[in-house]
Amino acid sequence: MAADAPVPAETAQTATTHSAPRRLVLDILNDWVTTVDHKKIGLMYIGYALVFLVVAGIQALLMRIQLSLPNNDFVSPQAFNSLFTMHGTTMVFFVGMPILFGFGNYLVPLMIGARDMAFPRLNAFSFWISAFGGILLYFSYFGASGLYGAGSAPDVGWFAYAPLTARVFSPGHSTDYWTLAILLSGIGSIGTALNIVATTICMRCPGMKLSRMPLLVWLYLVTSSLVFVAVSPLTAAQIMLMLDRYIGSHFFDTQAGGSAVLWMHFFWIFGHPEVYILILPAFAFANEIIPVFSRKAIFGYAAMVAASVGIGFISLSVWAHHMFTVGLGAGANTFFVLATMIISVPTGIKLFNWLATLWGGKIHFTASMMFAIGFLFQFLIAGLTGVMLSIAPFDWQLGNSYFVVAHFHYVLVGGILFMIFSAFYYWFPKMSGKMLSEKLGKWHFWIFLIGFHLTFDFMHVPGMLGMPRRIYTYEADRGWMIWNMIISSGAIFQAAGTLLFVYNMIWSYFKGPVAGPDPWDAWTLEWSTPSPPPAYNFAEIPSVASRRPLWDLKHPEDPDSNYE
Amino acid sequence: MHTDPDHLDPNVIQLPRPTAWPMILALGVSLILAGMVTSVAVAILGLGLCLASIIGWFRQVLPHEAHEPVPLEDAAIAPTSARTLLPQTKEPAAPHRVETFQLATGIRGGLAGGLAMIVPATIFSLLKFHSLWYATNLLAAGGFVSWGGASDAFLCQFHLQGLLAAIFIHGLTALLVGLLYGAVLPMFPRYPILSAGVIAPLLLTGILHSVLNVLSPLLNQRIDWFWFILSQIAFGLVCGYVVNLQTRLRSAEFQALPFAVRAGLHGNHGPNSIDKKDSSR
Repeated sequence: MAADAPVPAETAQTATTHSAPRRLVLDILNDWVTTVDHKKIGLMYIGYALVFLVVAGIQALLMRIQLSLPNNDFVSPQAFNSLFTMHGTTMVFFVGMPILFGFGNYLVPLMIGARDMAFPRLNAFSFWISAFGGILLYFSYFGASGLYGAGSAPDVGWFAYAPLTARVFSPGHSTDYWTLAILLSGIGSIGTALNIVATTICMRCPGMKLSRMPLLVWLYLVTSSLVFVAVSPLTAAQIMLMLDRYIGSHFFDTQAGGSAVLWMHFFWIFGHPEVYILILPAFAFANEIIPVFSRKAIFGYAAMVAASVGIGFISLSVWAHHMFTVGLGAGANTFFVLATMIISVPTGIKLFNWLATLWGGKIHFTASMMFAIGFLFQFLIAGLTGVMLSIAPFDWQLGNSYFVVAHFHYVLVGGILFMIFSAFYYWFPKMSGKMLSEKLGKWHFWIFLIGFHLTFDFMHVPGMLGMPRRIYTYEADRGWMIWNMIISSGAIFQAAGTLLFVYNMIWSYFKGPVAGPDPWDAWTLEWSTPSPPPAYNFAEIPSVASRRPLWDLKHPEDPDSNYE
Repeated sequence: MHTDPDHLDPNVIQLPRPTAWPMILALGVSLILAGMVTSVAVAILGLGLCLASIIGWFRQVLPHEAHEPVPLEDAAIAPTSARTLLPQTKEPAAPHRVETFQLATGIRGGLAGGLAMIVPATIFSLLKFHSLWYATNLLAAGGFVSWGGASDAFLCQFHLQGLLAAIFIHGLTALLVGLLYGAVLPMFPRYPILSAGVIAPLLLTGILHSVLNVLSPLLNQRIDWFWFILSQIAFGLVCGYVVNLQTRLRSAEFQALPFAVRAGLHGNHGPNSIDKKDSSR
């Protein structure tokens, strides 16, 4: 049909009814697949991480059902091994890191007044290779051969200690799937970290000196720098493991002169900084959200920056506290005990500064702020149990017990996940243009809070009673049943809270009230753009004169630039 | 941001052109690795995709980076605030100067207190073991695993490495505790002798008593707590005196300030000032 020829209305309707939606879907798909826009890539990171969050959450539920009763056989021991391996691997590599990189991708250029990341195509490549890593990992459920035949998912635990990963103990390909997926994810992480560092260093808008940079961007700079240092040893270790498994080298084969402890060092020199790679972005969210809902500037900006950089450095010297039970010797034990304790000092500075920001503020208890306050309390407790476990003799008693599981879930769920929820309630209006329902958000908060404490407060107890982690089932006379029942019931609350959150996002996206550019009366540059921001972010590159550029614009009679 | 010099239209902004090549390269690399656990055909397909995408990607950026013009939207935003308080309409009648913690104060206090602490420790050594070096070596033993079972006679002798280790441990600890005094004492300016000379030493002694067995089992076995508390009090009195001198805590004006100001939570100027809290909503 000629483009200029008039078309009768009926014919046009008939012609478009069937074909328009198809074109629309393909257009949208093409738009997202080919995008190099940091915002869309950020949203893809977040969406993909949310899918894996649901998957890994279901795995956790299955494990909790299995452990809720003694002598239970709800899942087989083989399936249980795969469940805890895939749950841990997914949560760390395919939920935690992508979701935090997603927020970083979306927010960092907006906050520093840039139009995109420094390397937009590398940004797209980093996302896609991480995504394919996740897909490859889960393809193991269909494609991998393993100890138990075809369709065996990895079952060596998320830190895959040698010699369990050797061919003789892990025949087939299930462990290879794990190794290759982590390798792909590592390439993506390093690419994104490189992009964030280059963007932060080179693309700040005029006037945005390092001393005026939003704390979120500072934290992402530290996190990304940590990724360089921490992910490289992991990638090296994965390649060494592949060499062991494929061409018969003996890096981790103790019977042929290799060292199983070498793997531990390689893994944990990645593994513990990884905890900080995950928690520092959560700190970053708190640094932006707590001041806005306290209606005060952040307390102790310089101390917060110094503490963040300090945490980055110290976190590189604490890895062997995961290895106290190996028997490192008194000298190494003492060093790692002290290094681990010392990291609580900059972390404590941060907590005190957040409290000082709240002090005397006009606190607005929005859903976002409630999650942030929950984070403060829970992260404090997580830190305290961390200090307890940093003491080598204490760790000898409780290492590899459910006490440790409770401790790190307090960090990962009570700390990081709470701040991720907080960040969703805070930045969803910017990303979607719609407000999330506050009412549903507060229901989400309370249900999830109850579930969290039922699960992870009580999880410390069976740990102290001697229940080891990764145990498939237990005898009825151990006295662990009541605690496991409570823990499992808490998991159901958490699942319900998460479902409510997902419902809230979907409902609000379609039916929620329009957000406007600045629904929280906030102070950083992303709120000076429409919601959602246009592809170019800023029609004109802004210039700033203080740490709170929007405060200055809104209050020319009393700008922060008078004081900084 | 990369700009195209050929495009000077003020109504459009040049952005990097969307491209599928990064995704295809990622898929190619993934398939090459997946070929190791599936089939060599998968790896060959991945290799083909890699080569094609590398060429495609190069053509995106060479000889010039590909851009696409994005029209500017007509949506100027005027930032507004719901804040109702206008704080700087009048100057504060008599702005008070807020004493803030100075790093040098804590360092001076710590060093002075550390020197004072040596006196009772040395007296203890002389009275109980007739040696100048017993307390020094006992402290140093925390740093030497091989000294774990050292005899009293050994600890009474002079050891250069013991002296150096003790100076390091004592100096660092005194410095850190001095910084703590410097930060905390301005918050509690009344009864400085009681707070710096009694309460703080007893608190620190209590903390140390609970963890000393972990930090240094030898010191924990042989420490004389009476003399240790005397040393702590000597440290507290001298360190507190130096901190008090430096920060003029004894002025009535300072003592009348609210705790939040003494603790540095609020000043009377700047983004954290009490006046500048946002009273909106």
